[in-house]
Amino acid sequence: MGDPVFYVEVSLAILIVGSLASLAVSGRPRLCGWLSAACAGASAVSAWLAAAGAFAGQTSERTLVSLPQLGAGFTLRVDPLSAVFLAIVAVVAPASAVYSVRYMEHYRGDKVAKFYPPLLLCIASMNGVLVSADLVAFLVCWESMTLTSYFLVTYERESAASQRAGLKYFVITHGATLCMVAAALLLWRVSGSFHFDAARETLSRVMSTQPLVAHLVVFLFFLGFATKAGILPMGDWLPDAHPVAPSGMSATLSGVLVKLGIYGLVRLFCWILVPSPPLAAWGIIVALAGTASLFAGTLTALRQTDAKRLMAFHTIGQIGYICLGLGAGVYCLSTAPLLASISLAGALLHAVNHACFKSCLFLGAGSVLYRTGTRDMDKLGGLAGAMPYTAGSTAVASLSIAGVPPFNGFTSKWLIVSGCILTGLRSPLFLVLGLIALFISIATLASFLKVLGAVYLGRADERRAVKEVPASMIAPQVALAALCVLLGVFPQPALRFIGQALESLNGAPAAAVATGGLWDGIALVDGTPVAFWWPLAALAALLILALLAFGIQRAGKARTRSVPVWYCGEEHGPETVRYPAGSYYLPFKHAVQGVYPAAKLPAPRLPVQVRRLLDLDRWLYMPAAHAIEKAAGGISRTHAGAPQIYLLWIVLGAIVVAAITLGLAR
Amino acid sequence: MNTLLALLILALPVAGALLCVFLKERSRPAAVVSAGLTTAAAVALVVSTFGATHHAVVGDLPWLRGLAAPPVFGVTIDPLALLMLLVVAPVGLLTVLYSTSYLTRNNREHPVGSQQYGRYYFWLLLFIASMTGVAISPNFLQLLVFWELTTVCSWALISFHQDERSLSAGFKAMVMTQAGGALLLVATLILFASTGSFEFSALSQLPDGPRTWVFVFLLIAAWAKAAQVPLQTWLPDAMEAPTPVSAYLHAAAMVKAGVYLMARTVSSGWAITPQVATLMAIMALLTIFLALSFYFVQDDLKRLLAYSTIAHLGYVLLGIAIGALGAPLGYRGGVLHILCHGLGKATMFFCVGAIAYVTGTRRISELGGLARTMPLTATAFFVGLLSVTGVPPLASFWSKFMILAGAMRLEGAAGPLILTLVLCETLISFGWMLYIAQKVFLGSPRAAADVRSAAPWPIQATLVALMIGCLTAPIVGIPLVGFMGT
Repeated sequence: MGDPVFYVEVSLAILIVGSLASLAVSGRPRLCGWLSAACAGASAVSAWLAAAGAFAGQTSERTLVSLPQLGAGFTLRVDPLSAVFLAIVAVVAPASAVYSVRYMEHYRGDKVAKFYPPLLLCIASMNGVLVSADLVAFLVCWESMTLTSYFLVTYERESAASQRAGLKYFVITHGATLCMVAAALLLWRVSGSFHFDAARETLSRVMSTQPLVAHLVVFLFFLGFATKAGILPMGDWLPDAHPVAPSGMSATLSGVLVKLGIYGLVRLFCWILVPSPPLAAWGIIVALAGTASLFAGTLTALRQTDAKRLMAFHTIGQIGYICLGLGAGVYCLSTAPLLASISLAGALLHAVNHACFKSCLFLGAGSVLYRTGTRDMDKLGGLAGAMPYTAGSTAVASLSIAGVPPFNGFTSKWLIVSGCILTGLRSPLFLVLGLIALFISIATLASFLKVLGAVYLGRADERRAVKEVPASMIAPQVALAALCVLLGVFPQPALRFIGQALESLNGAPAAAVATGGLWDGIALVDGTPVAFWWPLAALAALLILALLAFGIQRAGKARTRSVPVWYCGEEHGPETVRYPAGSYYLPFKHAVQGVYPAAKLPAPRLPVQVRRLLDLDRWLYMPAAHAIEKAAGGISRTHAGAPQIYLLWIVLGAIVVAAITLGLAR
Repeated sequence: MNTLLALLILALPVAGALLCVFLKERSRPAAVVSAGLTTAAAVALVVSTFGATHHAVVGDLPWLRGLAAPPVFGVTIDPLALLMLLVVAPVGLLTVLYSTSYLTRNNREHPVGSQQYGRYYFWLLLFIASMTGVAISPNFLQLLVFWELTTVCSWALISFHQDERSLSAGFKAMVMTQAGGALLLVATLILFASTGSFEFSALSQLPDGPRTWVFVFLLIAAWAKAAQVPLQTWLPDAMEAPTPVSAYLHAAAMVKAGVYLMARTVSSGWAITPQVATLMAIMALLTIFLALSFYFVQDDLKRLLAYSTIAHLGYVLLGIAIGALGAPLGYRGGVLHILCHGLGKATMFFCVGAIAYVTGTRRISELGGLARTMPLTATAFFVGLLSVTGVPPLASFWSKFMILAGAMRLEGAAGPLILTLVLCETLISFGWMLYIAQKVFLGSPRAAADVRSAAPWPIQATLVALMIGCLTAPIVGIPLVGFMGT
């Protein structure tokens, strides 16, 4: 296995060269798309090799460019934590790129030259963020990621909604980045270097000597990462930006890009800071923010009828789960490290799982949009027959996100909730948070039953001939759905990698989540084994029950008959009588109306008086110029050109001079 | 060899200017060639003296022989001068190139007949010469001569269209910068009277009292030239100039002469008193916010850019002041910002010029959806915008970051205070500029955008070159400023 940093460099080089190449061939959209997909795939292979190298225990570091004046440099390092997220990028990015090849064809007025080069650069900057071991390099990659994704969000040039969402996205996240710039500089003031190791040494020391500065730094970093991750209220950009981006980009945005906020939080709270009582307070803050997000995000998602907007709100919700796990883990890092690693493992596993099912869901919504031209679920229905692969993969991903066993969402949610409840035995707050998380899962399920019911089930509209999407769009969806099932049934390898990542953090032992072989279950160990989950056994039980039910139905010879629905004798098309998405859960929707209020910002305006005061021309220079002009006019009037007047001046002058001379002489 | 190159940089544009007087309608090729040769000489000079300092005495004034300690006329090539040359010469060439298609009868905003060419290129090339003169001057007297020459050229170029508005704008610019120039003269005379030298380094020989006054006068001269509060009002009016002139004079070169004066005098012995440095920093911050407050009421794209220029020159002075207060990193950042902002803002001005050329208007309220017909201009404008507002990894991020890092090196609460203010301004101006850019280029096309003709190739080539500059400027700039401020 080669040097991980080398593989990352290769992947970055492929992406950067690929973006230039795709720009060069952008006149031929199909070729450009396949070229970009190939680049994304090749870079993903390289990133996988890097991740594998890191898991094999190789850590290496290399400085590409050094800026000695600043004490900074482009230093790359791959450790198991970055490897986990590199692997996520390397799964979702190529899937999105392959999907986009055909998907981008349905944009008529916009050229692919605006899509593939920024997409590849965005993937490159995400990889860059993950391997930077220097705050300056990190911030540069971080903002390059925002910059490139801004152009992808505003891809539809002439749609006002895209522009509004893009502006909001860029301004809010740029503000967050500036907070991180401030934090980096405050830290640099003490440490004198931007290297992560220097930050790691300094920040914990400052925590005891200058707690105010340290907490300010942590707060600013938290603000920056949480905004990107979509934690409410800073994540308000997310529900606007996700739906308007091309679906391939939505998948990348939701599956990976917001995850980098989580990466930042883990890096900050579990790697840079050492466990200490003040850190526990931050754990509570992160957990509360996470719970607020999962509560508000998921309940607001219930109200949505725009498929992609609904999924964007669920991203907020699921990121809330991750943050809850992270917060619970950070809270007990110093007091109960075993317990901490249960929650942290849950958080990281949920990050991995969320990348799989959420990108699959966005791709599914994109497929529907590609064939029907709408994201409005009220106008859709009965697509399951026409689009079986899309319907199937969306169903799998929906069950995964709702946390139905044995799909992957269950394992991670189970870890998070058990972590919270076990922590709750020591501090009751987490018990409450864990229970909230548990019950919000039901809202998630309800919300996705709505998607499945309203979009795919019911009678199809015969007048609208909808076909399944092309194979190159099916493949990524099916692959991601398969991954959801695989990770659900066999979570052990992923958990083992995550355990390795946890070991590299500050004092989180991997032993807390005991994974046996592929065919064994997972045991949670907090001193003694406290909980157990065996996906295969559950799967077997489910299969037996299903067979049993099937057998009973067959044995009982129950008759089913299929008849058209009676509409009081009137004839209606399916589009008028099907149960629309907007009608699901109506009473509930009225109850949760106030959960996510909308605010409008007025344009900046200064009072007129201040404006006048600031306008120096108005009250200073122009009046002065006019006064000079007037005085000059007055003087010029004395030059009338008549000799008598000049003589008068001479006489008067002579008298004055004589008077002065006489006065002085006296 | 280096001296010869330096003199060539000075002589080539002058020769070109004189040639243009005779060539009249046919002066465009001559102008491009002479600006091109100047740039080639400047690049050769940068390559041959990168990081080194080179002094040479060229001549003397007969009546000052024996009076002034070192002889008066010569050249100084050091990293600071090189950095100025890197802005002045290449952007000058691009300005000339751009003008060859911008100032034609095809321009929908201001058609210009070929009988005007001789006059235009004469003043433009003379301006390039005087700016390079400012950059390589080794002492105050020579600096003063070229300084005033830039003012004269600026007056002629701003009033180029010779309608009532541009004449009064040119007059206003002339009077206000001249008022500052007079104080530069006073400062020079005080220095000469007390030390018998015109050298920049003689500043540190001045006793405390006069030194404070000399620096205050220099500062006011710089404020006037760089359009800083309270002498900023001439710059927005000067937008009556043809757009390439605005791009060059009011973004890249002439206004930079003002901040260059401070950079030069502050770094020659670091003799500036802390009080004056503090005043410089406070006024810079005031300028930044005052200029910001004018963003929101502008409807003319060029005036918006002019206010943004005022703010960014404030950043340069802020960096220099931080350097003067004891943090050389801030000084380096400020000087680097001369280069980074020059390229970024020139890009934006040239884009506005391309818009005006094609559509005939610069009014934000009339424009919309231009990206459909002018994709390259739209790309360049976004690149320039993101570069100017300091979004990493583009150029101005590095200079701003160095200024802020320098500020953090200061003792006490000054650093965090500057950090907070600067970051607030950055976010607000970034948000507003992005909003305006979206309004002009994205969204559904409006009537003004409905044009079939694209901008001609010299305009597009200029934009491409500057976009590359916005990305690559720090690669040259950061090592170059690393030699300064020690």
